[in-house]
This record gives sequence, C-alpha cells and structure tokens, in this order.
Amino acid sequence: MTSPNKFPSEGTLQRLIAFVAALGVGVATYIAIADSGGGAPVCIAGGSGCQTVADSSYSHLLGVNVAVFGIVGYLLLLASAFLANDAARFGGFVVALGGFGFSVYLTYIEVFKIEAICQWCVASAVLMTILFLLNATRLIGYAGTDGALAADAR
Amino acid sequence: MGRWQPMHAENERRQRLLQLAAGAVFLAIIAVAILIVVNSSGGGGDTNLEGKPEVNRLLSGIPQKGLVLGDPKAPVELVEFGDLQCPVCKGYSEEILPPIIEGKVKQGQVKIAFRNFTIIGPQSVPAGAAAIAAGEQSRGWNFVELFYRNQGAEDSGYADDAFLKAIAEGAGVKSISQWEKERQKLTPEVEKTTAEAQRLGFTGTPSFAVKGPSSNGLEPLGTPGSTGAIEEAIEKAS
Repeated sequence: MTSPNKFPSEGTLQRLIAFVAALGVGVATYIAIADSGGGAPVCIAGGSGCQTVADSSYSHLLGVNVAVFGIVGYLLLLASAFLANDAARFGGFVVALGGFGFSVYLTYIEVFKIEAICQWCVASAVLMTILFLLNATRLIGYAGTDGALAADAR
Repeated sequence: MGRWQPMHAENERRQRLLQLAAGAVFLAIIAVAILIVVNSSGGGGDTNLEGKPEVNRLLSGIPQKGLVLGDPKAPVELVEFGDLQCPVCKGYSEEILPPIIEGKVKQGQVKIAFRNFTIIGPQSVPAGAAAIAAGEQSRGWNFVELFYRNQGAEDSGYADDAFLKAIAEGAGVKSISQWEKERQKLTPEVEKTTAEAQRLGFTGTPSFAVKGPSSNGLEPLGTPGSTGAIEEAIEKAS
C-alpha cells in the first residue's frame, strides 16, 4: 500500500480537522444566531453584502437557515476527527465533500443570483474547502489502515 | 504468508474505500452541476428581477415595521399613498424618495409609511395586500421598491400571482407560505387606506401627507414635484 510517510501523520490531520471544524462551528453558529434574531451577520469590512445575502430567499432551505445545515456538517466533521478508523475517514470525507459541493453552489448563488458577497459565507466556504482537502488527504493516506497503525504513524 | 494476508486484506479495503470516494466525488459534481443549471434556468423563483442589489443597498440597515420605513421614534411621519401599478409612483420611488431615505430617514428624522391607494386597476388590490403581507415579515418596503423596479405596462395584467410571488421571494420574504396565507385576508386593509386617501381629498397617485410636532394632524401635501419640496414639508412639520 501507499506509504503513510508521504502524508502528514494521521494524528496531525485529525488535529487540523478538529481545529478547522471548530472554527466552522463558530462561524456557522454566528450566522444562524444573527439570522434567528431577524437580522444578519455584520460584515466586518463594512458594506451591506451580509444583509443582502441574509435577506435573500436563498438563505433558507425548507424554512431552515442554511447555516444550521453548516453547523450540523461541521459538528459531524469535528466528531470524525476524534476517531481513527475507516468509518471516520470515509464519513469525514463524504461530509466534507457534501459541504464543499454545497459551498460551491452557494458561492455561485451569491455571485450570480444575489449579486452580493457575505464575508461570513466566504469564510465558511474557505473553511469547508480546507476541510475537504484535509479529509481527502486523510482518506487517501490512511484508508485501510487500522487505528493502531495510524497511531504508529503519528 | 501470515503477514501477507492482512496486508492484502488492507489493500483490498483501501481500494474499495477509494473507489467509493471517487464515486462520491463524481456524484457530488453531478449534483452541484444540476443545482446550478436548475437555478440559472429560472428555478430559483426570484430570478430575472431588476434592481435587487439597488433596493437592498437603499434599505440596508433601516428598521421596518409593517409598511413603515425608518426609526419608529422619528418625530415626523411622511405618508405616501401609492398604487403599485402606477408609473408615476415608480418614478418617485426611483428618483424622488431615495435621497430622503438615504438622508433624513437614515438619520432618524423622519419615517415613511406606504399606504395603498388603489386607483389603477383590479390587480392593484391583491398587489397592495401582498405588500402588507410582506410587511408583516418586515420586508414590506423591499416588496414595494422591488415591485416598482419591475413594474410592467400600466394595468396590463402582469401583476398576477406568479409575479407577486417572485417579488416576495426577491424581497426576501422568509416564509412564502405564511405570506400566501396572510395576503388573502388583507383586502379590507387596502380598501381602508384607499378610503382614507379619498377622505383626505386625494385623486391621484402618489399623494403625500405629513404628520409631525408642528403639523395639524396628518396634513395633505398632494403630489410635491421634487425631493426638495418634500424635505421642506418635513422641516415644516418638525
């Protein structure tokens, strides 16, 4: 099989995934809380992009703010970072892939449909992209190894 | 041989997982492509509307309650009696009122209330009710402004249910089902404000009235022809 030495140790990847997923939970929770109060996230650099995006009908899916789906996704990724087995590696990859795909779609909507950019949504899309790359690296580097071998590689 | 077997099993498991991952990537690409194609072909509901960014920029950060725009504690209230199908009202919405909204309304000196005065045609009444229903979700002014920016030829039948729904979605009304339910009940509200406009002696749209600490109740202004004339009336009522 491919040598794990080509990749960062699985422990390092797990810690990075946990850290980035925790940031993601924070960003998505902020967006969801701002929306639940009837407002919008505050764009740090000014401008009305966040308000415009939050006001758009695209900000909700089946009556639920899309940030809530983000919170669920980030929490699943956080949980997957604490396990070193194939289920966690593959599950983490699939969730990150779904999150990354959804981020691509939402970014398209922001740019071409709503015609406004929300910095918090961009931040979440960047975090999800990083998580996708980390989880893909983890899966390619360590799929098929058992937890003990992965631990050895740390 | 004993060591080879577990390694072989590991390799097989790894191959299987990577094949599944490749399949998931393929499916994800297809799913995102379908979502984008569906939205770009008009599946998003509020597509092809004009002026959304301008409306959002104009109203951003200004409180709304019902069809009243501005700080509820503002000392002066400017009331616009308008018909959403009226082309002159559209002109006021795009040219005359924005400087007041960006100035005195944002500064908390005046709030502007939109009230329906339906004189153009039968579709003005459901359109007005739809605006009030959007106001119940704090999107009333977004609805009114976006309606004006997408207004069709006067009383040509364009303001049907599909048009109203597209405007509501574009205005950011969050619960369309709730909006649909509410707007059906609001015709009496539209009739009430139309009767109020007639009582004030108005015969055309838009007509304005102002109320403030120095005014004698709600004082009719008629149709002031410029931003400056309306600002002067606001100053007088302050």
